[in-house]
Amino acid sequence: MNGKNQENLRELFGRFFEPEEAARAAEDVRRAEQILRENPAPQPDERLIANIKFKVEEALAARQRARARWSVAYRVAVAAAVIIIVAIVGTAVFERGTRPSRNVQIASIIPTALWESQDITADDADLVILTAEVEQIENEVLTLQRGETKANGERVLVELETELVEVSGDFWKG
Amino acid sequence: MAKRDDLAEITSGCKRGDAGCFAKIVDMYASRCYGYFYRLTGKRDVSDDLLSELFVKLTEKIGSYKGGSFEGWLFRIASNIFHDYLRGKQRRTRMLDARKTRLESEITESKVSGAEMTDRLQIQVERLDADTRELIMLRFYSQLSFKEIARIRSEPIGTTLSKLHRGLKRLRELMG
Repeated sequence: MNGKNQENLRELFGRFFEPEEAARAAEDVRRAEQILRENPAPQPDERLIANIKFKVEEALAARQRARARWSVAYRVAVAAAVIIIVAIVGTAVFERGTRPSRNVQIASIIPTALWESQDITADDADLVILTAEVEQIENEVLTLQRGETKANGERVLVELETELVEVSGDFWKG
Repeated sequence: MAKRDDLAEITSGCKRGDAGCFAKIVDMYASRCYGYFYRLTGKRDVSDDLLSELFVKLTEKIGSYKGGSFEGWLFRIASNIFHDYLRGKQRRTRMLDARKTRLESEITESKVSGAEMTDRLQIQVERLDADTRELIMLRFYSQLSFKEIARIRSEPIGTTLSKLHRGLKRLRELMG
């Protein structure tokens, strides 16, 4: 025991015992500890100490290896996370840049001019041409039916019907 | 003060994982810790194992040492290791009891104890109850103040003082 503790013993016991009793208790402790000093425990073997130092070194090396492995795993995880984030963000940006928006798709089906037109038959050029062609064929058919033409009426009628079908097909094909 | 500064430097080295600093700690405390384990177990081979375990555990726990009394911190770990050993011993004893008859186990135990009790003090120390024995050895080998010992044992300082006084008085009587 160090001197400071010895000096404090009587004072310490004094907090809990009467002064005389405290002095006796401190003396009891001092004498008993003297017995412990006079009967020392065996010392650890030198080989044991060397073995402990070796084990400590091994434990430290193992901890350093584990720490290094964690460090590598951490870096890989961070790199993977960065790659995934960049891929997700990149894909989102790319798709936004290339894919036409929903509004554009809707607008492309029906041109704005037609959508806003009050008279589609007059504003749609294709429809105007088709109407004119149909009217022309209709007139020709009527002429044939009335027998106003000198040509072979039967053949011309078939040709006109075929033409009508073609014009109608072209229109719907666009 | 210089010694305290040295110890602070050594513990800092230990925290950095310096094997040389751990070796110094082993040199400084192995003897006292060994005495502590030996007086509590009465067995050299067990004390060897516990001492090894203590210093290896130190490499894991050194990060939790935040300054203050290094001896207090070290002997707290030593005390925990001893209690773990006791719990393991109790488990082993229970297993042994289940296999052998009471008489057989008593004969075995007395043979082992007799072979290993080489000094008179150890024989008398083993006659004290386990708690008092541990308190006496903690006080003697750790060289901690009563205040620190009471803190380690989580009990009022008056209780610690009283138990130690009774225990040491009894030990003196036993040693005649």
